[in-house]
Amino acid sequence: MGEVNQKEKKVDLRKAQSPESIPGVMTTTSNAISDFLKKTPAQDFINWGRKNSLWFMTQPMGCCGVEMIATGCAHYDTDRFGIIPRNSPRQADVMVISGYVTKKYLPALKKLWDQMASPKWILAMGDCSISGGPFYQSYSTVQNIEEIFPIDVYIPGCPPRPEALLEGFIQLQKKIEAKKDKGSEY
Amino acid sequence: MDAKKIIDSISTEFPDSISNTLIDSDIRISAYVSASDVVNVCKYLKDNLQFDHLSCESVVDYIDRDELENVYHIASYIHPVVLTLKAILPRDNPEIESIVEVYWNANWYERENYELFGVKYINHPDLRHLVLPEEMLGEWPLRKDYEGFPQNTAKNLV
Ligand code: SF4
Repeated sequence: MGEVNQKEKKVDLRKAQSPESIPGVMTTTSNAISDFLKKTPAQDFINWGRKNSLWFMTQPMGCCGVEMIATGCAHYDTDRFGIIPRNSPRQADVMVISGYVTKKYLPALKKLWDQMASPKWILAMGDCSISGGPFYQSYSTVQNIEEIFPIDVYIPGCPPRPEALLEGFIQLQKKIEAKKDKGSEY
Repeated sequence: MDAKKIIDSISTEFPDSISNTLIDSDIRISAYVSASDVVNVCKYLKDNLQFDHLSCESVVDYIDRDELENVYHIASYIHPVVLTLKAILPRDNPEIESIVEVYWNANWYERENYELFGVKYINHPDLRHLVLPEEMLGEWPLRKDYEGFPQNTAKNLV
């Protein structure tokens, strides 16, 4: 009998604490807040912040990956645009597909993409990731990668020079500023 | 140990299984071996003729003849002769004894040949896919009649 009483008490407490029952209090969720903000000028400010901290994931996949690493090094000083290489997908905002995507690698790439926290963007770097490049006719290259990932900027070249990659990042910044990017839904 | 001596030695030791011997030069010789005897020949090469390592093992698809050729390049650190051994296999069910017990490094070569051409190596310690994803086993992409090659579906040509 004592146990039953305790349970009833707990239920009552929960009822009393649930916000709907407190008069004058309106409840919301963080998703609702973010949806609301997207329609206000506050989003411009948020995007300004986002575009100036495009941390990219150091995940070299092909020869383009070497150029990507070079871009992240001191010589090109990407830090002045707020672009910093990160080692973990959890801390990154941008994934650069820097090379050929093989059928075997695709599941791992998808997993990395899923591990990144929103908002997140993808750059396709090099001919390989755009169309297959030199490996266009290979039996194990995944083609039409844009059907799998929402790619914002394509950077052609084999490999693109670090300056080209940097230009790609700047184009992405412009897209974010104009709210035209695919990474965040408006 | 020179080219002529090696050829004579293996053809007298295995008169039934060694055929079409050829001396290309002082350092390159080749011979066909019957698929059933390849391990014995390799053992003999290693123990008696100082062929102490396998340089390469590969497969060629001769689709007109309906045959696969399993090619071994066997060489030595002691003498300069490189021997190319070839074994002919049928295309519809290619099977050959694995030579891993003689040359240990054949292990990954044979796994690769298996995934690309579908040659089954009998008594291989661990015969499974090496580089390709597991789903592609059975497609044998380097065979000449492979349908997925060339693959040109990209819409996004630069
Ligand atoms: S586009 Fe060229 S440089 Fe880049 S990964 Fe492909 S082959 Fe290598």
